[in-house]
Amino acid sequence: MSRTYIIALLIFGAILGYFLSFGPTTTQKFKSGVYQLLAPFLTGGSGLKKQITSVRSGLKSLEQLEHENAALQVENRELRATSQGLRDVEHEVNRLRHALNYRERSVFKLIPGEIIARDSSTWWRTVTINRGRRDGVETDMPVVTDIGLVGKTTTVSDTISIVLLISDENCRVAASIEGSREQGIVSGERLTTGMTPLLDLNFLSKQADLKPAQKCYTSGVGGVFPSGLLIGTVKSFRVRELDGQAQLTPAVDLSHLEDVFVVTGRK
Amino acid sequence: MIFFVLLLVLVLFAQIAEFFIPVLPWLYNAHVYIVPVIVFYGAMALPFPLMLALALYAGLLLDAVTVQVIGGKVEISTGTSILLYGVLAGIMHGLKPLFARGHWEVHCVLSGVFTSLIVLAQYLMITFRRGSLVFTREVWWQIAGPGLIAMAVAPIFFWLLQWLARMTAYSYSPERERIQ
Repeated sequence: MSRTYIIALLIFGAILGYFLSFGPTTTQKFKSGVYQLLAPFLTGGSGLKKQITSVRSGLKSLEQLEHENAALQVENRELRATSQGLRDVEHEVNRLRHALNYRERSVFKLIPGEIIARDSSTWWRTVTINRGRRDGVETDMPVVTDIGLVGKTTTVSDTISIVLLISDENCRVAASIEGSREQGIVSGERLTTGMTPLLDLNFLSKQADLKPAQKCYTSGVGGVFPSGLLIGTVKSFRVRELDGQAQLTPAVDLSHLEDVFVVTGRK
Repeated sequence: MIFFVLLLVLVLFAQIAEFFIPVLPWLYNAHVYIVPVIVFYGAMALPFPLMLALALYAGLLLDAVTVQVIGGKVEISTGTSILLYGVLAGIMHGLKPLFARGHWEVHCVLSGVFTSLIVLAQYLMITFRRGSLVFTREVWWQIAGPGLIAMAVAPIFFWLLQWLARMTAYSYSPERERIQ
């Protein structure tokens, strides 16, 4: 082994040792810093992705139109394409109006945010939103939609934040079941096989006997999540050796999230 | 040197692109990873010190996007991906003479195997922290899936990077002449 190789290995080892010595606070700062650097790319990429999706859906509708109206002239097709564009705008206006209504009638102080990126790793379920410290977002703040709970913020940089979804095994939420005194802890599953992830509600009593479609809400225990936020509905219940466990279907469609709200407190 | 800088830029853009590449529902929601393919090409094409620098850079980026700090605890330490990339890229670098002789297939297969090894290592580390070691068919596919995809795309990426190396007048395999 040449001298250059040994020096390179020593430098590599020293830098590696430096990073391995990072504690939680330093890791948080490091992650936040890197995400801050990536923020313009992620925001730009999100916009680009939307444009590509829009063009693809536009082409698809044109294709359909061609099949249905082979005899239509070019001018007619342009008009239809414009109409399609307007429909997209209308859909977005409706979506934002819906969100605005929720923000106004909600009992919580909410910061609206948009999902700009999804997690690229296999074992963690997170999304990145376009709101950060500058907007008043902090670590461990609940994230919701008008339908229910989405997750909580973990790493917050100046302009973007990472949200740990409730479908992640590490996101634990104290929960109660509608119409019963049962309380438990909701967490995600390590592995998601279908497009819709399921949640586990653990530490229930063996006598809980939960029925499908019963609603599960946050109980407010633990301090991160306020009480009364819908988490999901019961899919099945089983008795284990020491406790009862229910499987929940999340209230929010986590795979098609677009807009979310960060809860900063009560009004 | 230009080629090395280009590889760094490509790794950055590939890492960002991975955020926007959807999972493959027909392959148990397997993710598509491009960065390892670029890093493993770099491991063969670059001299040892630069290979380590590339592994360091790619590992650092991977750590930044995967390491989670939850409730004041770090699940996987920063630096683990650097170590993984360093070791795997080192093995790939050791097979450089084979690549110089024109045997790409071994490296394409190894790129896939090593990509899966990275995902497997991450799984083992989180399992160590969270407990309950589970190896279902789904887990195996989520580990093997990214590797298979990496294996499939590796020849295209290797060809493109090879072209890029030629364009930048980079002498990617100094051993070639020695072997010939």
